Amino acid sequence: MSMVTITNLVKRYGSLVALDHLNLEIEEGEIYGLLGPNGSGKTTAINCMLAILKYDKGSIRIMDKEMKPDCYEVKRNIGVVMQNVAVFEQMSVWENIDYFCGLYIRDKKRRQELVEEAIQFVGLEDFRKMRPKKLSGGLLRRLNIACGIAHKPKLIIMDEPTVAVDPQSRNKILEGILELNRQGTTIIYTSHYMEEVEQICTRIAIMDHGQVLATGTKEELKSMIKTGETITIEAVALSEEQLAQMGELPHVFQVTYEEQVLKLRLSGAKHNLVRILHYLEEKDIAFGRVFSELPTLNDVFLEITGKELRD
Amino acid sequence: MIVFKGFLILVKRNLEIGFLYLAIFMTICIMVQLMTKGEGMNQFQEESLKIAVIDRDGGRLSESIKEYLGEKHQLVNLEDDKTVIQENLFYRNIFYVVTIPEDFEQKYLKEGERLKTTKVPGTFSAYYIDQQIDAFLNEVRILKSGGFSTEEAIKEAMRIGKLDTEVTMIDKNGHGGQMAPHAYLFQFLPYLFLAVLCYIIGFVMIAYRKEDVRRRILCSSVSLRTQNAGLVAGYVVVGVVFWFICMLLPMILYRKEFLQDHNLPYYLLNSFVMVLVALSISFIVGVLVEKETIVSAATNVISLGMCFVCGVFVSMSMLSEGVRKAAHFLPVYWYETVNEIVGNNVQFTAAQSAAVWGGIGIQMIFAVFFLSVGLVASKYKARE
Repeated sequence: MSMVTITNLVKRYGSLVALDHLNLEIEEGEIYGLLGPNGSGKTTAINCMLAILKYDKGSIRIMDKEMKPDCYEVKRNIGVVMQNVAVFEQMSVWENIDYFCGLYIRDKKRRQELVEEAIQFVGLEDFRKMRPKKLSGGLLRRLNIACGIAHKPKLIIMDEPTVAVDPQSRNKILEGILELNRQGTTIIYTSHYMEEVEQICTRIAIMDHGQVLATGTKEELKSMIKTGETITIEAVALSEEQLAQMGELPHVFQVTYEEQVLKLRLSGAKHNLVRILHYLEEKDIAFGRVFSELPTLNDVFLEITGKELRD
Repeated sequence: MIVFKGFLILVKRNLEIGFLYLAIFMTICIMVQLMTKGEGMNQFQEESLKIAVIDRDGGRLSESIKEYLGEKHQLVNLEDDKTVIQENLFYRNIFYVVTIPEDFEQKYLKEGERLKTTKVPGTFSAYYIDQQIDAFLNEVRILKSGGFSTEEAIKEAMRIGKLDTEVTMIDKNGHGGQMAPHAYLFQFLPYLFLAVLCYIIGFVMIAYRKEDVRRRILCSSVSLRTQNAGLVAGYVVVGVVFWFICMLLPMILYRKEFLQDHNLPYYLLNSFVMVLVALSISFIVGVLVEKETIVSAATNVISLGMCFVCGVFVSMSMLSEGVRKAAHFLPVYWYETVNEIVGNNVQFTAAQSAAVWGGIGIQMIFAVFFLSVGLVASKYKARE
């Protein structure tokens, strides 16, 4: 069953086209990653989904209903974790979660249970009475998440929830997201950290300039590109002739040499590394450390757009 | 309900400043009451100051000025030395020095030369002595030009100067011609209303208007109408509770006198309408001010500025005509106008009654106007 269907969505800010005929299909039970550099239109797409931003053209259907600002029934089943921490500074951790949960759940007793569960879920048991000001960056992010998920929504939209978070808290947050998904929640997760998206998302859409460039599982996305392997070698003083010869080796389709680091992109095939090392020995070329990497989402992005994801 | 509850939690977190203002206000009221012992003014007495007369002329007129001032004030003998004079003024041993130059009598009677005076800066009473000297010298000159000899003119002016004037205070409200004591408290209330409400509501509104919090609330399943209703309910409850607490002050301080005041309903109504005005102004503060650090500054500018211009701290009769005209465009002026009429009279004439109801009506219009401005600004900001 489709949880979110976005068709030909267009959003303009004057002459700037933020979303350019965006199409998305998100199935129930997925962790759907929206991956793209800053300014690619991820947050705009989310704001349109949440009906807090008007769009110029297209349609958004969530849980089989056309999404509009007054679709409170649909909104009741959506949880939002904002990019910035959106809590009241003058309320305690407990009061904040209770307040935002109260925007969905009226029954006080039920709400208390949910707030308690959310506090335990994000590991803020020892900080119930603390004000946000006294929490560290990681704990604040966890509070931000607890405020968005306490009412147990069917769909959670997370807009870069791990920005500026220490590795320990990041892992805790990612584990939490996986756990929510195991409990049956559909999650839309935006990030420009490809490692995170690779780690948790079941399907990924790569966005740039308000468009979806490619979509699929991480394996599907990687199989779309030519790069099957990237080999990096620290080598001193390679001649133009040697670089040209290496470019002629089987499966090598790109050779770059900068600051004594040789980078070879090869299409997927066995024994690529052995073949390269054999060539270096044969030509008596001195070399240092050698790395072989399978393609990443950055490679996918690089090949599709011609630029790095983190540019 | 949750929006309303959240509003009250945030109000609770900002209550300290409200209590602080209340405590300061109450302390000042009690001090004023203890100083006046709760009595109105029932007698009039001329003020007597320590002054010095430096006589370089030594003529009949200068002697008579000395004698005339000596009867009204305490004369202190001083050397004719600038340093000595300045020192005595600095240490407040004297408040006023008048120097009579050589040949003053001739110069004054022929050319109208003025006397050189030195006074402690900012002393009100010193200007009063200026008037006394001017009055005495004018008397002498007029009499002289009317055919009196200099001696006769001086003698007559001295006689007139000694005459006592009977002062009768018109008592229209049983407080010796003064406003009722609790009316003074009501005179200061607008400052308390504006300061406390702008501060508390300003902080609450900033918390609610933070972009991300606002977005999170907008994403929720609570309709915009319910959210606004919750906020309005919060405003009303805060306003009513605060007004009620403020009304306890005169009840505690003046008890029966206040409760049995014939004009009690007017005091209550006028102050309640002022609370509505303060709430509407606080709404604008909450909408326009985006940083907590600016709330205090904005609150002080609004509350102190409006109260100084509109006769809260200084009686309106002391303000210049221009300031009073400008104050017409501020709601506190109309509150003070009503309070002055209510505090000074037991029964109103038709004109006074019209002024009271007109004043209350104008305050209501101000409240609606400020609320509308706030709503427009809020809508504009939301679009941004």
